[in-house]
Amino acid sequence: MSLLKYESTLREPLVDGEKTYHQVTEDICRPVEEKANTGWKIGFTISVALLLFGVYSVYREVTYGIGQWNLNKTIGWGWDITNFVWWVGIGHAGTLISAILLLFRQGWRTGVNRAAEAMTIFAVMCAGQFPIFHMGRVWDAFFVLPYANSRGPLWVNFASPLLWDVFAISTYFTVSLLFWYSGLIPDFATIRDRAKTKARKLWYGVVSFGWTGSTKHWQRHESLSLVLAGLSTPLVLSVHTIVSFDFATSVVPGWHTTIFPPYFVAGAIFSGFAMVQTLMLVTRKVMKLDDYITLGHIEAMNKVIVLTGSIVGIAYLTELFMAWYGGSKFEFDAFYKYRIAGPYGWSYWTMMTCNVISPQLFWSKKLRRNVAFTFIMSIVVNIGMWFERFVIIVTSVYRDYIPSSWSVYYRPTIWEVGFYLGTFGLFFTCYFLFSKFAPVIAIAEIKHVLKTSGESFKEKMDVIEKESVEHFAHEHAHAH
Amino acid sequence: MIKEQFEMTGRYKQWAYALMGVGVLALVLGFVFLKPTGDANSFGVTKFWAVLMHNSIFFLLITIASMFFISATTMAMGGWQTAMRRVPEAISGFVYIGGAIALVVLLGYVFGSQNTAIYHWKDAEHVAHDKVLNGKKGFLNPTFYSIATILVIGTWIALRHWYRKVSLAEDAGEQGDRSYFWKTIVICAAFIVVYGLTVGSTTPWLWLMSIDAHWFSTMYSWYTFASSWVAGLSLIMLFIVYLKNQGYLEYVNEEHIHDVGKFMFAFSIFWTYLWFSQYMLIWYSNQPEETVYFQPRLKGPYSGIFYLNLIINFVAPILILMKRSAKRNYATVTFMSVVLIFGHWLDFYQMIMPGSLKGDENGGNSIGLFLFDMGVAAGFIGLVMLVAGNKLTKASLLPKNHPFVKESIVHHT
Repeated sequence: MSLLKYESTLREPLVDGEKTYHQVTEDICRPVEEKANTGWKIGFTISVALLLFGVYSVYREVTYGIGQWNLNKTIGWGWDITNFVWWVGIGHAGTLISAILLLFRQGWRTGVNRAAEAMTIFAVMCAGQFPIFHMGRVWDAFFVLPYANSRGPLWVNFASPLLWDVFAISTYFTVSLLFWYSGLIPDFATIRDRAKTKARKLWYGVVSFGWTGSTKHWQRHESLSLVLAGLSTPLVLSVHTIVSFDFATSVVPGWHTTIFPPYFVAGAIFSGFAMVQTLMLVTRKVMKLDDYITLGHIEAMNKVIVLTGSIVGIAYLTELFMAWYGGSKFEFDAFYKYRIAGPYGWSYWTMMTCNVISPQLFWSKKLRRNVAFTFIMSIVVNIGMWFERFVIIVTSVYRDYIPSSWSVYYRPTIWEVGFYLGTFGLFFTCYFLFSKFAPVIAIAEIKHVLKTSGESFKEKMDVIEKESVEHFAHEHAHAH
Repeated sequence: MIKEQFEMTGRYKQWAYALMGVGVLALVLGFVFLKPTGDANSFGVTKFWAVLMHNSIFFLLITIASMFFISATTMAMGGWQTAMRRVPEAISGFVYIGGAIALVVLLGYVFGSQNTAIYHWKDAEHVAHDKVLNGKKGFLNPTFYSIATILVIGTWIALRHWYRKVSLAEDAGEQGDRSYFWKTIVICAAFIVVYGLTVGSTTPWLWLMSIDAHWFSTMYSWYTFASSWVAGLSLIMLFIVYLKNQGYLEYVNEEHIHDVGKFMFAFSIFWTYLWFSQYMLIWYSNQPEETVYFQPRLKGPYSGIFYLNLIINFVAPILILMKRSAKRNYATVTFMSVVLIFGHWLDFYQMIMPGSLKGDENGGNSIGLFLFDMGVAAGFIGLVMLVAGNKLTKASLLPKNHPFVKESIVHHT
């Protein structure tokens, strides 16, 4: 098995610098063990402030009703559902990285998977707020659960994609949480073993569930990861598929189109990776983790962004084409008169520019490896993806079939915006807490790839690289 | 010394020629019994052309899928498949002859036949009276159709040709010279873009969706892609297993087979996902201009194929290929490859025939003359065998200077 530690030198190292196992532990545990720095404190304070503003905005809505928002007679879904879909989409990168890239044996996932999974969980938590508070009578929210009830024939509508959403998203949240947490267990145990204070030892002892690192534990841990990866792979597709059904099962022009499910999934992964980039670029800088989240990682994620952005682009153009080709006047109007042109045309073009045109710059290797450019692009993409949902929702419903029911121009109220900002507060509050109290990179998984993909170990592979193929294969056969 | 140089055995050639013979015989019999020179919109003429279109498009798409396989794995820096990549390379070599055949058939039908049952939009007089088709005539017209078809097939051929040239040059080059690899990255990137703009969007609209000319579905092209991609992967698998059984591809082992098997499994599920999404959304909203597509497929003579399609292409792979051991077993993967190629051939059949024959008395009532379809398909299979086999003999089976070849040798799934 010795030669199995071979990896082509064409692949760049996943861990930079001369690292030993011990150093990996040191580097990643440091931020958890040290006192929080000023940057963290400022960031955390801002997040909590935003969260409180969100709580107040929601309080207004709950107390005075949906009228606190500017939804009107045709625009029954506005910022709320736009934000909901946007946040759900962002979560997808985490699941893709942890599940699909694990099945694909992509070594580079190890640098980013922990934070991406955390992001998924926080994003889904944010997403869930919107449909719940959009109900208006939030105290009746439990009505969405199908259980034998005392309300007589009042039962959930199993034929409604909105109900499927309840199932899909709660499953998604549960599995993602399990995945993330089970990965954290060995790393929590590492921190416990290094703990200098009693309180820390006790706390990390409790959360690491008595992990000892025995072979048996590792064995079970590995099979659990694989099982969870298998379970979450369909979830990567199913969650956003069902979100797309919310629109596509209807007969609203602009919503009812068969390409929606895969196109929504591609868009979700697209926005999710952009958010991972935003978080990772800040994290690696603030926590000095650029040896673990290397330019190679950033480039790989940018490749995913240009791929999924282009898939989304094909879907946009397909929709435009079919709106003409299909020969339905209403479909045509929805796309060519109410979206591209019309009072909300600016949002359509923002979406096109941010999602399809600007990511094409990532065909350039130089730009893919440019940190500042990547950071800007990651935000541009998420602006674009927010507008995608806004375009789909608002521009499809602001003009009904007859002009008498066209709605007035839709602008959100401060409380609608506040709710959205509040979810940012929630998201970042959670993320800051996570980055302070848990290792943001999977220590155990980095160690797993260190000896094949660590920079100092890769240098030794130059010798193997020069061997003839026959010799190499021969050696390998003997090593088995 | 390992066997790196493939030679077609006498038996392999015999089979290829025999199948091609069956194809030619089927054509001759088709000519005799279907009378394609007869009354323009008769059943025989429609069926004759529809069968030729079905097979030429299907086999072209499943072989160009090999080029997509190469491009996708190259762009993703996938090392595992290096030891077997000469197989998809060889299969994609079918694009020359397959492309030429498709060109002749498609343009032959559009310009050479008076029949308008398959492509209603060919009939200028009909289009003038048909409000929907009249709206589409900027896209559905013989000129645009032929220019697009020539461009699409031409670009595929050019990119595949360029790729193969660089790949062979790498063999002749020095070990450790990575310039060839970077060149293939450029070619493959170009191919991915072209593939997205052709198979991923426009080409299936033109060639296939326009058969049901009034109908439209934004999912259609991705669905067509998924179908041809699963069959294309299965075809790659068949050649790998054959070569292994003949003692070639020494460095390819069950690890690699397992990975191709995973792709077959995963994309069968993906195909089902797209199938379900398209069908369910049309069923759910229940608008006549959309359900019109599934109406003749669900009811009447094609209903059996409608359900069989799902059984073969979804139920079979999910049950049979789920287990790890199944994906590592030569017999199972061979069986499943054959099943899936047939299954997706059948999928294309149900995409093409109901629309082509719907107005026809004979075709509307029975699926009719299946033997002719099978005969022509056999001819294509023979041709793919011969062409791909021939391309395999042209180069070493091991791209020994490829920078990922050693990773492929030690690959563990």
